[in-house]
Amino acid sequence: MKIHLWLLFLKMTLKILLGELMKTIKKDKIAKLLDFLADKYELFAPTSKDGLVVSFERIEEGKQAKLRFYNSNEAPKKLFFPQSETLFSYSKGGRETVPEPKTEQQRIIFGLKPCDTKSLSLLDKVFDTTDFKDPYYTQKRGNTIIFTLACNRPQSSCFCTALGLGPFLKEGADVFVVDLDDKYLFEPITQTGEDLLKEIPGLEEAAEKDISYAKELAGGAEAKITTKIQLDSLKEKLDEIFNESVWDEIHQKCLGCGVCTYLCPTCHCFDIVDEQVNDKGKRIRIWDSCMYPAFTLEASGHNPKPTGKERMRQRIMHKFNYFVETYDEIACVGCGRCLRNCPACMDITKVIEQINNLK
Amino acid sequence: MMDLQTKLREEAKRLLEEKKVDVVIGYEDGSMALRTTPCFVKDPRDVERLVWNALCENNLAKYLIGRTNKAAVIAKGCDVRSIVVLINEKQLEKENIIIIGMPCAGIIDRKKIYAYLGGADVKQANIENGIINVKGDGFEEKLNVHDFLHDSCLACRYRNPVFCDILVGEEIPEVEPKDEYGKIDQLEEKSSKERWQYFSKELSKCVRCYACRQACPLCYCKTCFVDQSFPTWFGKSTDISDTFSFHLVRALHMTGRCVDCGACVRACPNNIDLRMLTKKIEKDIKELFDSEAGLSIGENTPLASFSEDDPQDFIG
Amino acid sequence: MKNPYLPIPVRLNKVTLENEAKDLKTFDLAFVNPQDAKAFKFVAGQFAMISINGIGEAPFGIASSPMNGGVLQFTVKRYPRGVLTTALHNLSVSQVLGLRGPFGNGYPVKELESKNILVVGGGFALTTLRSLANYVLHKKNRAKFGKLTMFVAARNPGEMLYKEDLEEWSKRGDIEVIQTIDNPVEGWKGKVGYAAPVLKELAPCPENTYAVVCGPAIMIKTCLFVLFELGFPPERIVTSMEMKMKCGIGKCGRCNIGSKYVCMDGPVFTHKQLQELSGEY
Repeated sequence: MKIHLWLLFLKMTLKILLGELMKTIKKDKIAKLLDFLADKYELFAPTSKDGLVVSFERIEEGKQAKLRFYNSNEAPKKLFFPQSETLFSYSKGGRETVPEPKTEQQRIIFGLKPCDTKSLSLLDKVFDTTDFKDPYYTQKRGNTIIFTLACNRPQSSCFCTALGLGPFLKEGADVFVVDLDDKYLFEPITQTGEDLLKEIPGLEEAAEKDISYAKELAGGAEAKITTKIQLDSLKEKLDEIFNESVWDEIHQKCLGCGVCTYLCPTCHCFDIVDEQVNDKGKRIRIWDSCMYPAFTLEASGHNPKPTGKERMRQRIMHKFNYFVETYDEIACVGCGRCLRNCPACMDITKVIEQINNLK
Repeated sequence: MMDLQTKLREEAKRLLEEKKVDVVIGYEDGSMALRTTPCFVKDPRDVERLVWNALCENNLAKYLIGRTNKAAVIAKGCDVRSIVVLINEKQLEKENIIIIGMPCAGIIDRKKIYAYLGGADVKQANIENGIINVKGDGFEEKLNVHDFLHDSCLACRYRNPVFCDILVGEEIPEVEPKDEYGKIDQLEEKSSKERWQYFSKELSKCVRCYACRQACPLCYCKTCFVDQSFPTWFGKSTDISDTFSFHLVRALHMTGRCVDCGACVRACPNNIDLRMLTKKIEKDIKELFDSEAGLSIGENTPLASFSEDDPQDFIG
Repeated sequence: MKNPYLPIPVRLNKVTLENEAKDLKTFDLAFVNPQDAKAFKFVAGQFAMISINGIGEAPFGIASSPMNGGVLQFTVKRYPRGVLTTALHNLSVSQVLGLRGPFGNGYPVKELESKNILVVGGGFALTTLRSLANYVLHKKNRAKFGKLTMFVAARNPGEMLYKEDLEEWSKRGDIEVIQTIDNPVEGWKGKVGYAAPVLKELAPCPENTYAVVCGPAIMIKTCLFVLFELGFPPERIVTSMEMKMKCGIGKCGRCNIGSKYVCMDGPVFTHKQLQELSGEY
């Protein structure tokens, strides 16, 4: 079985190297391509009501998509892990379960940036474990095909490269899309991606110059990101400084508003509550934040994380130490949403820099 | 004539050297263009970090609550009024605070600049003499600061601190607000159904992050009504009726107390127009009680005080 | 694929009041569906998430022995601020609740085999320790383990949990039971004094012995000190942690101590493991 997969991989790599699989489509035809996808799948794409704030929504027509954008305001995690989700419903005296979440229709997310695509594989590590699979999340994941759109123009708040990722990272994509100014380049990354591309009408073979232009754009994009983070011994440093007073300084301007965690594509904390009207109710899962005081507050009144200091420390440690310890990956993709949206302009890259600079 | 920023740094240095306070809470340059960030200066040698310009948007009064040491805080007109309300509500001990009052002609709303630039990424910005110079990939523009102020600044009547211990610079002339209740009046004209639709649309953007509450200096309850579980007043999901209830009740809790500093709107990650609720209530309180929040120490919100002369004609 | 968020129905069979202060009750829960009863296998020290629809859900250590199938026992303290614990205490027999589990790692019973076990329990933390004791004492298991000592502390005789069990155990020859209360009370035949000094006086031998310690934070802290002095190494001191939990399966992110989730990697940890986790505890 393993050999078969290896051969397939080799075959695909060879094909990609020979440019055989890569396709292009002229920009003026992209709306039609999206129409085609929207017909057969539930299609999600970046949209904007005011031309400024972008959000991933379901579209029925290709022209609703806004494909030239920095990134969506909210992280696309909401398409897999929504703010509110019903776990099951009940009525007086018993329980009608919403059984295994109703089989979701096949979905396509078109235009996910590489940082957000990577964030999904980090969320997988939490929700899709051998002992306990979260059926609500894993169903959606299994039913979704991802078209990742390369990031030609990273924003000044972006820092994916500082984490070893990049604006042209293909990891997690089914099809990798590059905007070549007058056309789009499609590169299949998985078998699912390749099969889907075969179905789409009107695609042309990619020319050598298309492929080399894409490489050029990749270099240009990576060069635009100038923020650097020293990662080498960060985890060890964090282990050492747990009880140091630097945390008093770090948290003092934080308002505990939770915007960073709500917009972060890798934050996954949630609460479970029962909500009932008369005798019908449901148990729902809703987003929660480690930055809120009641997050760890126990019925006895004891709170292991009583002040903003412990909670800020928890956030930084979780992303750059605990997650690394358990999964060997940093739980941050450098999308910059926390930086851009923090009302107090807390900058996580500066916090890490401050920690690294401690003696 | 020394500019305000230099004067401010001098005052801060003096206060720290004379040990009048343990910390000066002010603003310093943010790590991104068009941003400043709150800063806490404890060492008189660090006062050079402090800045004062049209990007100093945060309401720093929030950082005074629950403080155990003595602090000096840099406060604009609106911030000062929120401090006055906090003192009147006995949340702050006046002797532990030194208010460094800054006359303020308005703060820039960077989202208005982004909108003007069509969503472009501003990489550098600096302000000089009322002009803000913004630069990015392939563009550079000089913009008039006064064309890009926050809506709350356009409605401001109290540009000078109504109360402070140290005034930095001279008072600036108070002006008639450029746009005090314009949008409120428009909404009042609409039918009930239209208003319901407007607010439903705005509030459906809410993800219940409570950033508005956290940013507001006057939201200081140890347990917010929305976090109570005994009893649970409102649901916590994004169900529109629960979200509506949260915002309406929060606005009601602000009655007679909100100074329209705009911190809530700035904190909201989804740009919900929260001021429509709080500003409307402010208008009603002014009309019904001829009262505005935070104008003098010792006064209380009309809903928390009474006088013998209160109108009673509605009582049977 | 089983959905780990769906509770299975259990019926409240019996309510036992455990203490004079009337805030501790033991609930006997029986599986409504026989196939659920058959499928539920657990290890002493594991917990379950108990829920009442419309009220909420919380973790409770299983107090009954894994050798008794079909009916599970949980001892619950009512907190004035606790929505669920208050509702539980107001329940009447035959009502149906929800149960999810078993969760957590449980006591390291395999490691404990052929060792002596010193159980140090205080207040109402005795719940899972009772499960462990009854597991060890079961005739199928007893021979696998060495000496078993139950050292139990409570504020006063009225607050002692599981009085029936303690009495029965005291009559047996294969377990030593030592009880202590804070202050002398007329008619009390056991020891008098706080847990730590009485434990010091008893000077249990650390050789080939595991200490399993559960109780209020101050009791654990002081007893740990005594155990270290007596020569118990941190890898042979075992404790069960408590945290607010919601999912019970390591996903909602709230019950962590350092990089470990108390609901999955715990709630049982050796003291050595706790020392290695970030200085959080």
